[in-house]
Amino acid sequence: MTRTIFYQSLVAGILAAIAANIYNQIYYFATQIDYSNIINVGSLLGLNLMVSLLAGLLYVLHIKLFKAKGAIIFNFVYSVGSFACLIIPLALTLPLSTPFPELFPGLTVPMVFFPVIAWMTIDPLFKKNID
Amino acid sequence: MTKTMKKQAYLMATLALIVASAFTFIQSQDWKIAEGYSIKFDGGDPSGEFTGLKGTIQFDEKKLAASKFDVTIDVASINTGNGMKNTHAKGAGWFDVEKYPTIAFVSSAITKTASGFEAKGTLEMHGVKKEITLPFTFANNTFAANMEVNRMDFNLDDGKHPKMAPTLKVSINVPVTK
Repeated sequence: MTRTIFYQSLVAGILAAIAANIYNQIYYFATQIDYSNIINVGSLLGLNLMVSLLAGLLYVLHIKLFKAKGAIIFNFVYSVGSFACLIIPLALTLPLSTPFPELFPGLTVPMVFFPVIAWMTIDPLFKKNID
Repeated sequence: MTKTMKKQAYLMATLALIVASAFTFIQSQDWKIAEGYSIKFDGGDPSGEFTGLKGTIQFDEKKLAASKFDVTIDVASINTGNGMKNTHAKGAGWFDVEKYPTIAFVSSAITKTASGFEAKGTLEMHGVKKEITLPFTFANNTFAANMEVNRMDFNLDDGKHPKMAPTLKVSINVPVTK
């Protein structure tokens, strides 16, 4: 099971990073504001992989602790946790050279939900393998 | 034109030139604010900068009596690096940009000191005028100044942030061109 969860985390992280990069391009196209000193392909890939792999570890922990109900509880925890993480891009202080910090949350707040969306999107595919 | 009239004309012209040259002697050097200036403030949290500096700078090290600063900062140009903090700082609880859109400094006297110069003048911020002394240096066509501003002197306090430092360190660096 752990191996399957690892792959699920990996795939979720990569999918979330792809989605985040696409959104980043769309946002740049719409606003013409360059946040690439903070948000770029590398940082998005790294962050999404890190969050998804941590979520995978958390999933394993929940299954071990709560057995059959572990997956349900994990989904709630992951969703609520993602929602709580909204505060991170809102509270972030950018370097003073970064233009229009007011528009930064518009780019990053939606991205906070990408790992959990990716995880839940592919979850049924990997559940099948576990069974 | 008679000889006497010619003499008088030359005399008048000489006098006019003398008077005009006296004015050029008093006239100080005008400087334009160049790109790349910075007005940074550091209060721990928040810290940031203002980017909207305008005004006239008349300065000549040899003619300090005729030198004068008359500058304004656009308060709406405040940047703390965080959008929410910027909005908060511009709001009625702090700078109240709609009511007090600029910070102004007009010097009344500039004198030489051991380490550089100092400009005495009036700083107007948040609707409060206060006489201050601004120590500064001038080298390589760049004015540099460091000072501390007590925000309480200018009623900059919304009463909700008791842990916020009352004094802000202000660091000014203004390159100029002729």
